[in-house]
Amino acid sequence: MKKYIGLSFLLTLLVMGCANRASAPGVSEDKILIGNVQDLSGPMKELGAVLPAGSNLYFKYINEQGGVHDRQIEMMVEDHQYNPQKAVAAAKKLIEKDQVFCLYQVIGTSPCEAIRPILAESGIPLVAPATQSGSMSDMSREAAELIFHTDTGYDKQTGILVDYILSQDSNAKIGLIYQDDDYGENVLKGAAAAEARTGISIQREAYQRGATDFAGQVANLMKGGATQVIIAGVVKEPIIVMKTAAAMGYAPQFFGTSPTMDHRVALAAGPAGEGFIASNFAYLWNSDVPTAVLYRELCEKYEVPEAYMGMYHFYGFATAQVLVEGLKRAGPYPTRNRLVNALETFNKWDEGAFPPITYSQNDHAGTESVVLVQVKEGKQTVITDWID
Amino acid sequence: MKGRYEDENLTWIPILIVGIFLLPFVLKGLTYSYKYYLFVLNMAGIYIILTVGLDLLSGYTGLISLGHAAFLAIGSYTSAILVDQVGIPFVFSLFISPLIVGLFGFIIGFPALRITGMYLGLTTMGFGFIVKRLIIAFREWTQGAGGLEVSFPIIFGYTFKSDWDNYFLISAFAILAVVVSRRIGKSKIGRAFMAIRDSEQAAEASGVNLAKYKMLAFFISGIFAGLAGVLFAHTSHFISTDHFDILLSIYFIIMVLVGGASSIYGAVLGTLFIVLLDYLFVPEMKGWIQEFLNIEGGDIQSLLFGLIMFLFIIFQPTGLYGMWLKMRIYWKLFPFNPKKKFI
Amino acid sequence: MADLCINNIRMQFSGVVALDDVSLSVKESEIFSLIGSNGSGKSTLFNCINGFNRPQKGSILFGNDDLLKKKPHEIIRCGISRTFQNVQNIPFMTVLDNILLGAHHRIDPESTVKRWLSQKQRAAEEVMGLEILDFLGIVNYEQKYMAGQPYGIQKLTEIARALVGKPKLILMDEPAAGMNDQETYEIAKIISEIRDELGITVLVVEHDMSLVMSISDRVCVLDSGEVLALGKPEQVKTHPDVIRAFLGDSADA
Repeated sequence: MKKYIGLSFLLTLLVMGCANRASAPGVSEDKILIGNVQDLSGPMKELGAVLPAGSNLYFKYINEQGGVHDRQIEMMVEDHQYNPQKAVAAAKKLIEKDQVFCLYQVIGTSPCEAIRPILAESGIPLVAPATQSGSMSDMSREAAELIFHTDTGYDKQTGILVDYILSQDSNAKIGLIYQDDDYGENVLKGAAAAEARTGISIQREAYQRGATDFAGQVANLMKGGATQVIIAGVVKEPIIVMKTAAAMGYAPQFFGTSPTMDHRVALAAGPAGEGFIASNFAYLWNSDVPTAVLYRELCEKYEVPEAYMGMYHFYGFATAQVLVEGLKRAGPYPTRNRLVNALETFNKWDEGAFPPITYSQNDHAGTESVVLVQVKEGKQTVITDWID
Repeated sequence: MKGRYEDENLTWIPILIVGIFLLPFVLKGLTYSYKYYLFVLNMAGIYIILTVGLDLLSGYTGLISLGHAAFLAIGSYTSAILVDQVGIPFVFSLFISPLIVGLFGFIIGFPALRITGMYLGLTTMGFGFIVKRLIIAFREWTQGAGGLEVSFPIIFGYTFKSDWDNYFLISAFAILAVVVSRRIGKSKIGRAFMAIRDSEQAAEASGVNLAKYKMLAFFISGIFAGLAGVLFAHTSHFISTDHFDILLSIYFIIMVLVGGASSIYGAVLGTLFIVLLDYLFVPEMKGWIQEFLNIEGGDIQSLLFGLIMFLFIIFQPTGLYGMWLKMRIYWKLFPFNPKKKFI
Repeated sequence: MADLCINNIRMQFSGVVALDDVSLSVKESEIFSLIGSNGSGKSTLFNCINGFNRPQKGSILFGNDDLLKKKPHEIIRCGISRTFQNVQNIPFMTVLDNILLGAHHRIDPESTVKRWLSQKQRAAEEVMGLEILDFLGIVNYEQKYMAGQPYGIQKLTEIARALVGKPKLILMDEPAAGMNDQETYEIAKIISEIRDELGITVLVVEHDMSLVMSISDRVCVLDSGEVLALGKPEQVKTHPDVIRAFLGDSADA
């Protein structure tokens, strides 16, 4: 008898499982649920809190104005500790368990690469991944049609920097310090392309992610006689590299990719960082473009702590604008498909922070140009227009 | 005279196996987010294949390995390269790749002939770092640190595409791994392994060739890790060196210890416990824990795991499996149980 | 035929001479006792026979095998097994499994594979151990874990593990150490039975004089790595050197 009770219970469950649920996932009467996977406790944790905070600042502003088509935007943040496998788990949790409408701002290249197959499987778009890896928006790969990239890839950035250096000094000997992970891999790709294009050769020096000692790399570059050095690091690497070089009496012109464009670099490097040039794919948060003005107003209004304000916080804010614009264009009855189609209507859309963003069916790389920012007397100053 | 195995009650094993294969249907009925739970179970299944092998090495033989993430990595990359770049069918890779990893284990076994304990742990840890560097160095095949996309597993023309499909593939192999490792553990090989751990003199006097069996332990453990690697690569569809860091190796050891070293069921329980904690409990409870401890952000996971490890080693050295055995005795004796013997 | 011949063994540990020119032979099916004070080289001699220590000089022959050319794990294949002074059991294995460890060389790879596939082979293996347990009279202990068993059981398990390998010669290192009179009496009985019923030669190191004198066929007294006396128990008991060096003290006590 007992057996049959168990069996019938099981069968009931089976029948229940076959019943379908109706409404579009993540979208209810008055709410749109957005999923975000950040590094809250891994090697990039200093960004993990700041990026979503910046986005939430803009969402709060939009929500107070009544939201997008009368729906409030709500963002759920999960942790992946910069581990691709954790990223997959977190993304699956957001998609399957919390039923988010779309993914947004997922940080890191290898985590984004790892969740790529899930995007294809569940047809869910990923808007503005917080990685500048050029491979993200490469359409030749599966599921790229669901990733909308707002940033200029590292490979492009490296190419632009090399071109800029050569335009200033045609006899330049270029050195490159890169992180030996997915980020560095993309920088190397750009460097190899630039070498092939210009015929110069670049001296490459690798460091391990999380390294704090760069004496060996700097000494090698010194021996190689590099006059211009591109640092493809995050925040602490350019600081340490420039200080080490200063201590060793080696003074090339230093350049950096976009992650090094943090104002903390200028602050912490001190005199050693004077003249450091970094490329960036967005305007400075303290400039006069309308988005930056709005940003500073909102920061004041919502009493954002001083420590949060800066490039990354502003970046989160700016990408939130892209997402909100996409949601607006998707209409009052959004589906994932409609969001993808709506984003693909972006044509030189310019809200002021990024260079004009264009998406099309065959191209999800929103922008491909950067501005160069130089540290002058301890302050970051824009020295070029958008160049590509 | 007859053997003693006939006294054992083994009917629960087929029931459990049927239960494992019915579980996804039950989950599907119970919750709409069943796919996420299946994904977590798949993860646990892959790790079980690895940890039962690690248990044979570290639990039974007492040779600590902090390099098992590297074995997993070698298995993953070998299979990815063999299947996608050389063109060997997945079914063959299921056999070839673990053997290759087993050979790597064999090589790592050499230092184990001379060093033991923490020093062996450090050596295997070094092996982990070397493997990671090598994977990055062999760019042409592995695409460096950027990570490698891997094809779906195909067996006899059937492609395993979703977590649902993968669940059946992985659980079949996990059951196989548990059965095989238990058989190894209960046979002459397992006895020799345990003898090496507890008394090398007794082992040698009983005719156990220490060198041979230490190498064998590494070889077998490598095979299990390799199998786990193959399944990991093809079911998660993307692998990169970021997966296989030292922390993962440490988690594997924690899984074995929490479950109870030198019992295969213990390794299974420990793995399930840690994976479920990691993927289900911690994300749910994180906010609550942070509020309770009044901290912002921070690595709750590591904190929690460190604490669990600490508590288990001090209060429950026989692990979850030991706990279960005691509980079973408790219920058997129920009305007459001596007090304070529970857990 | 299967006599153990120890010829001119010299074993030195960086300056300390543990065995100096020791020669003795153990005949088949005899109970041969080694006695001597602590540090007189009894255990070292065992370790030399067993391959754990390598003497600098001399030879040890068992039947046609030169034991000094064998590795420790090959000694049991020549037909020599041993027990240890401080019990060397595996705590987290059952008593039966502990005993079956000793049958390691009796189980070939083929039957190991067979065991994985069928329960029959498993029964056959277990019977090997159960026979010995029956012989020693501790048959209801076989499913118990070694950890936490009384000392007497642990000692008997050691003996069982040595016996299950079907040796021709068994080396017993202080089988009665730490036992009360009743248990010592039973050990003495077991040692006699091992020789009488199983036909195994026994070489035993022991401190308990009453045990040694009651069971031994021959006794050898070692002192500071040298053979002091060798012969029948009565002869040794009355040997003047022995009385002075060793027995005298214990007789007073």
